Amino acid sequence: MKNIKYIVAGCILITIVSCKKWLDVNTDPDNPNSTSVLVQNRLPWIQHFYTYTAGVTNFRTSCQAGVLYSITGSANALSTTWTASSGNVTPYQTFFVEVSANINDMYKSAEAKGAYYYMAAADVFSALGFMQMLDLYGEMPYSQTTAISGISLPSPKYDDGKTIYYGCMAKLDEAISLFNKTQDPGAPSFASGDMWNNGDVSKWIKFCYGLKARYMLKLSKKADLFNADSVLYCISQGPQSNADNVFQRGYNNSTVTDYLLGDPVVTNGNWDYAGYGSNQRISQYYYNLLTNMRDSKVTDPRMSKIVPASMTDIKLDASGKVVSYSWNRSVGVDSYGASERLVAGGPASIKAVSYTASDKNITYTITDGTAKAKFIADQQLAGRAFTVDGDNVTVTYKAGSIYVNDNNYLYAGDTSYVNMRTFSIATGGEDPLDVDWYPSADAMKAGAVGSTGSYQIRPVSDQEILTYHEMCFIKAEVYMRKGDLANAYTAYRQGIQAHLDMMQAKLTEWQAEGYTKTNPDMAPMNQSDINAYLSSDAVCQDAGSLTMSDIMLQKYVAMGVSLENYNDMRRFDFSAGDIGSFGTVYPGYDRGPLFAGEALYTGGTPKDPRYWQRRWQLPTTLELNYNSANALAVNAHATEPNVWSMPVWWDCATDDQYYGYLK
Amino acid sequence: MTTILNKSSIKITMRKLVTALLVLLFLQLSHTASAQERTISGTVVSPDATPVAGASVIIKGATIGTHADVNGNFTIKASPSDVLIVSSVGYTAKEVKVGNSSALSITLEPAKSELQEVVVTALGIKKERKALGYAVSDLSAGELMKNKNTNVVNSLAGKVPGVNITQFSGAAGAGASITIRGGNSTSDGRQNQPLFVIDGIIYDNSTSVTGNTGTDGLSRSNTTYSNRIMDINPEDIATLSVLKGAAAAALYGSRAADGVVIITTKQGKEGKATVNVNSKISTSWANKLPEAQTVFGPGSYATNGVLNTLTYDSWGPKIPADSTLYDNIGRFFQNGIIYDNNVSLSGGTKTGSFYLSGSNFNQTGIIPGTDYNKTTFRFNGEQKYGRLTLNANVAYSVANTDRTLTTSGLYGGGGNGAMGAVYSWPQTFNMKHYINPDGTQYRKFAGTVALEDDINNPYWIINEDDLTSKTNRFTGGVNGNFAVTDWWDITGKIGYDQYTTNDYTYIAPGSAVSPMYQSGRLSKDLLAYTYITTTVMTNFHKTFGDFDTHLMLGSTTENTTTEGQNHWGYNFVTAGTVSFNNIAPENKFFTDGTTRKRLVGAYGEFGISYKDLIYLTATGRNDWSSTLPTSNRSYFYPSLSGSFVFTQLLHNNNFLSFGKIRGSWAQVGKDANPYATLTYVNSPITIASYTGIGNQYISGNPFLKPEIQKSWEIGGEFKFLDGRLGLDYTYYHSQTQNQIAQPRLSNASGYILVSINSGSVINKGMEIALTGRPIAKRDFSWDATLNFSYNVGRLGQFIPGVAYFYPTDAQFGTVKAASIPNGGYFLGMTGVKYLREVDKNGNEIPNGRYQVDAKTGLYKLNTNNPIVGNREPDFIAGFSNTLRYKNLSLSFLLDIRKGGDVYNGTEYSLVINGLSKRTLENNRQSVTVTGVDSQTGEDFTQTYEADKSYVINGTTYSGKNMIQRYWSNYASNSLNFITSVNWLKLRSVSLTYDFSNLLKNQKIIKGLSATVTGTNLATWTNYKGMDPEVSAAGGTGGSGSTGIDYLGVPATASGAFGINLTF
Repeated sequence: MKNIKYIVAGCILITIVSCKKWLDVNTDPDNPNSTSVLVQNRLPWIQHFYTYTAGVTNFRTSCQAGVLYSITGSANALSTTWTASSGNVTPYQTFFVEVSANINDMYKSAEAKGAYYYMAAADVFSALGFMQMLDLYGEMPYSQTTAISGISLPSPKYDDGKTIYYGCMAKLDEAISLFNKTQDPGAPSFASGDMWNNGDVSKWIKFCYGLKARYMLKLSKKADLFNADSVLYCISQGPQSNADNVFQRGYNNSTVTDYLLGDPVVTNGNWDYAGYGSNQRISQYYYNLLTNMRDSKVTDPRMSKIVPASMTDIKLDASGKVVSYSWNRSVGVDSYGASERLVAGGPASIKAVSYTASDKNITYTITDGTAKAKFIADQQLAGRAFTVDGDNVTVTYKAGSIYVNDNNYLYAGDTSYVNMRTFSIATGGEDPLDVDWYPSADAMKAGAVGSTGSYQIRPVSDQEILTYHEMCFIKAEVYMRKGDLANAYTAYRQGIQAHLDMMQAKLTEWQAEGYTKTNPDMAPMNQSDINAYLSSDAVCQDAGSLTMSDIMLQKYVAMGVSLENYNDMRRFDFSAGDIGSFGTVYPGYDRGPLFAGEALYTGGTPKDPRYWQRRWQLPTTLELNYNSANALAVNAHATEPNVWSMPVWWDCATDDQYYGYLK
Repeated sequence: MTTILNKSSIKITMRKLVTALLVLLFLQLSHTASAQERTISGTVVSPDATPVAGASVIIKGATIGTHADVNGNFTIKASPSDVLIVSSVGYTAKEVKVGNSSALSITLEPAKSELQEVVVTALGIKKERKALGYAVSDLSAGELMKNKNTNVVNSLAGKVPGVNITQFSGAAGAGASITIRGGNSTSDGRQNQPLFVIDGIIYDNSTSVTGNTGTDGLSRSNTTYSNRIMDINPEDIATLSVLKGAAAAALYGSRAADGVVIITTKQGKEGKATVNVNSKISTSWANKLPEAQTVFGPGSYATNGVLNTLTYDSWGPKIPADSTLYDNIGRFFQNGIIYDNNVSLSGGTKTGSFYLSGSNFNQTGIIPGTDYNKTTFRFNGEQKYGRLTLNANVAYSVANTDRTLTTSGLYGGGGNGAMGAVYSWPQTFNMKHYINPDGTQYRKFAGTVALEDDINNPYWIINEDDLTSKTNRFTGGVNGNFAVTDWWDITGKIGYDQYTTNDYTYIAPGSAVSPMYQSGRLSKDLLAYTYITTTVMTNFHKTFGDFDTHLMLGSTTENTTTEGQNHWGYNFVTAGTVSFNNIAPENKFFTDGTTRKRLVGAYGEFGISYKDLIYLTATGRNDWSSTLPTSNRSYFYPSLSGSFVFTQLLHNNNFLSFGKIRGSWAQVGKDANPYATLTYVNSPITIASYTGIGNQYISGNPFLKPEIQKSWEIGGEFKFLDGRLGLDYTYYHSQTQNQIAQPRLSNASGYILVSINSGSVINKGMEIALTGRPIAKRDFSWDATLNFSYNVGRLGQFIPGVAYFYPTDAQFGTVKAASIPNGGYFLGMTGVKYLREVDKNGNEIPNGRYQVDAKTGLYKLNTNNPIVGNREPDFIAGFSNTLRYKNLSLSFLLDIRKGGDVYNGTEYSLVINGLSKRTLENNRQSVTVTGVDSQTGEDFTQTYEADKSYVINGTTYSGKNMIQRYWSNYASNSLNFITSVNWLKLRSVSLTYDFSNLLKNQKIIKGLSATVTGTNLATWTNYKGMDPEVSAAGGTGGSGSTGIDYLGVPATASGAFGINLTF
């Protein structure tokens, strides 16, 4: 019995002591947690997902800027109808969840190791990301976000655009000073985690100055804050040649997809959104700039690299392989002009193409006489066999045809709008060196190319983060604003040359790697075409006649699928022609006949700021449903549809104008 | 002995206590030794001469006793001076002097209004019902078996007030969820289902979805899942108690917030061994199928009116009269067959007893190729060694389900499920034609529609794909009770619950899925669950004059571990071999998951009563949970309850024979799920030579506190007319605070889901049970029970600015399950609806005309997630009846529900596809849009006629296209598919004939009965779709997806014949 007493007492004691230890099992043994990850693993993650969020931003703002036309509902609402009520979610989620959540963790763990370059990089991504949020949404949670404060709050408060802007600029200044330090001994090497510049700190410093120049330029509407000389100083410290370009290289060597949205992780971020599916086409606005700049009727040597083509007139051999064909270079989709095709079929009605391995008859019923005559003429022109029986026209698409598999005559000609899709091995491609899009497995077997894709938005394209040619165009614009035409002209020509050089270098690289075996659009341009172009009327030939429009349209061509085009257009009020004495900088850009966004864009005339697409509404399903009290505290109109036409802070001439909108 | 319980006893040392025990033991032993014993036999009967089986017979003043056998017979060793106390639940105990008689006949009077009823309460403690300060509902085996369902949860439907059962679907092996008095946690992954305790051991009732949409393409809505209580053989259940309120369950502390279901399994009885065999065969069929229109055939009209026939949509021209029509929906389902066989063997001696059972339940589902097969074994044994009683329970079960994809199961991988396709297949296509002679899938649009853009034929899915789930489960417990004296005992217990679920999902090559997966896809998931618990408990019971007291102290430890493994891969290199060995290494993936959760609890209960008049009980429990931050891991849960039997103070009267009022207050709670305190990272990604790692989209929280539920209830029990009529009434209120949740919040936090303590959930409601015995003749009796309950669940204070709390990712049709903060519905629904005209201030006018968007010519939609419904019923009720005439008895159960919105997502899908009968309006010749112009506010009325065309915002639309657009616009409005559902269901009816009378002249067969049963034979409801009981993706945690009917397997009705043989 005595023993029992001791046993019981002993047990109680052991229980109390061991209890604490016994309960310490609340750490997942299978997954590392946020405190244990290495900085050199954080940075590639942040770099990748920043390009991913930039990719969707570039894509959607390119729809707004008139670079791309899309049949995706949300993107079509940006490119054509201007009825945007959604399609404003992904950049927000991909930045905050995939990038921002890691910034502070990287900064803190880098600080603990004296890894100043990683701390600096954290600052750069904070600036890049939040400036993108400001560009799109105007006001956002900033100072209370985990990235900035280090504390995770469920409903962070909002900051206005001015606060975010200066916050980003301060982050860049801190980054520059951190890059000028030497990392503590034992800190992980910067090269081991830096995909963009391979740890080249001097390139990072130029990158920071280049970003400062880009951001300072945003203030061009503000008489009191815009300082041309400051911009020029930053440019002088920024990238000096294409060698200083900052980009994320795209690869086609893995089928691994990401945890959140399921896109391949090695491919170009622009491709993930603009080139992944069959929904995007070149807009006629962009197409015209590549074929008729300055009313020159001169085709840009970059045109066939940017505008996709598909095979046509395909002949198959006995085994069903393509033996002969010609290229069908896409035309642009006319969203802003007469828009005949879209008016007839609806704003998002352009059809995808199919491939047939055997002869295929489609019978079209056309009751309208004029339409029937035109349709028949089109068939004759295309050399297709057809029979007519009353209202019925039966067309034979020969084996090997890429055609629109629809018995509606209205869509039969949609083959002329080649979509911008390309394959990666994670999305249907089989050969890592063949990124062409094939409409079906049969087409792939035959070698019948449905699209060659577009320079910036192939899986293996470089995603441009900051480039020398952008610096040149900024310089040209700033000198133009200063009235220094000579320097503006020099910078303008440098910008065009830099972009052509950059493209040519990449095209040469692609050719060397073997992509051109299946895709001629990835081959270098003819030097003679380049020379001819540079001396043609498409490019201004003397400083005296240089216009702001010349500079900005060349920048537009060079920047292509980039948020910066949308930012620039806002700074020049699109085609309103009311900025300084520069006239209409983006002629021809306007609401099209399918415009249906009166509720969003409440301005009645182009000179009214509220006539244009000025920002994005905050995402309802990710933000307004959960944080509306804070959103409304900053902007009383955050939930109203016409917030889409409310200028963001840098898009206003004065603070009074800006805060007037928010009231 | 009294000295021990004096106040000074607190100070006594262990040594003194042990000495006292020894003295006590000696006294007890000397008492029994001194008697002149002989064997007495006797029979216990009720006034109508029926034997009182299992009556307890003990010698007064001693601990020796026995039980009567099934025929009421007992034997006991006693001396002539002894007094036997004979008692049985439902009868008034009787004291009988032994005297010199050697054969006693004892008649027990039925307890007046069943005052002595004993119920099983928390931790398995048996208590007199009158002593309880809270509501406890209990069901006997007989009650449960009246409509035996292999899922015991389903057998509770309509029988217990305050309990809400939702069946997941009518598929073989489909589970069900149970909530008691509403849910308390909104978040997905947080249980609202009660704790199940079987023979004192917590029994896991998870509905485990082993896969996920990313790695193997399965989420809750994609296929059939079982809830794990299905692993128990319902025939093994002796009694089932439902502890509804927090006070009743308070001793379970952090696991008590959602109530507790306590199940006690059968034990053998002293006497000859008994063998019971019962066999049942039943057939089940789809209760109600969606109806498709058969007027218009496949096709759709383009903007310019050109007919497109390359579509499964049924917007095409009228079906010619001579066409063959296929009843694709009706022909798809088959009659399911169930063979249900059980055998049990039980018996015992004075000191030991055993119960051994085996069962097999073999069900083929109403979808061809699906089945559910369950085999169970159980052994329960008890052995007494003097004051020590040892119990052991062991159960083993094997449950296998062959299932099918019901909806698309491959996130980002394309494909579709069988049910979605069945309900959309055009009536002119013969769905049974699914395969080509070469074994590839027959596709109507082969060559014109790419495989990945096509729809899988449902027969392809059920015949070519292979989805199975296999669970082996072992549970066991050893329980030792040492009766130190007649007022003190000690119990020790070790429990073990372990199961392994293996899920297998094979998508056949040639399926209409993403090109990546067109050469086949395979995934295997393993989930191993292990639970070990130990308990030490001691009870003291003592009477002081008119005061009766008891004290219980105990402690418990629980250790729960789950280990998961997922393997998946795609692209079989050599056709025909379905194995990971046949997949290239770069296409194979493997992940691991482990969760560990540990809990230590110490608890106590003190009760005191005065003269059967007033009862008071206080309990307290402190838990230490591993899932909370170290500083917050210890928390205390108190409860207080009391009852007052006021009829004790009244003169006996025939009208109110018993009356009691009761009340209780308790604080219980919930701990967190494992690993909620840290933020974890994703699997690494590799880009060129770099490896990237970043945070997951769920944020951990190192400051989590336990969730606390405070609740109170008041109620009363009344018996009238000598117990012929009884009323039990309860009103309750509970508020859960510091709710641990992972709500979707502003992504600006850096996360999509954030673990936080926030918000309260308030539930209040009422439960009424009326029991009656309108007829109680010797040959004819009628027993009836009517129960009624309602619950009002509301989400209270929440983070400011958060408008919705979405428990799951799932959206079905246009609606999402949602809880609405600041007093809104706990079981709400948000969706899309037509905007109504606005007043001067821009606010919508209730019941105003609809806004029409002149740019589309159709109704303007509010897509900002307006609240569109409340899925909680106004009330639920059950009316259960048993009529007995001689040896024939008839039972039937009516299940009643009033209110509660159900979204008919299946009908939504039919409208989208042009198969809904609703789309036949005006013979598809015209539709009319009428309301106000959304821009100008002026009247707007426009009729679109099929053969005209309309210019809207610059585009010319054919009338036929506009009619399609109209229906698409119609489908977007969630309110077009939401019904506040009422139903009256004949949940079960059974007719039993007892052949015992015919067996009187032989000794071998002791009992024989035959039963015919029907379930869900009739449903009267205002709901137009399938059976409204079905819940899409049933069993999600939080506020779940009950009340959403979306492309599910239809609920079933069944008929069965069974015989029950005892020998």
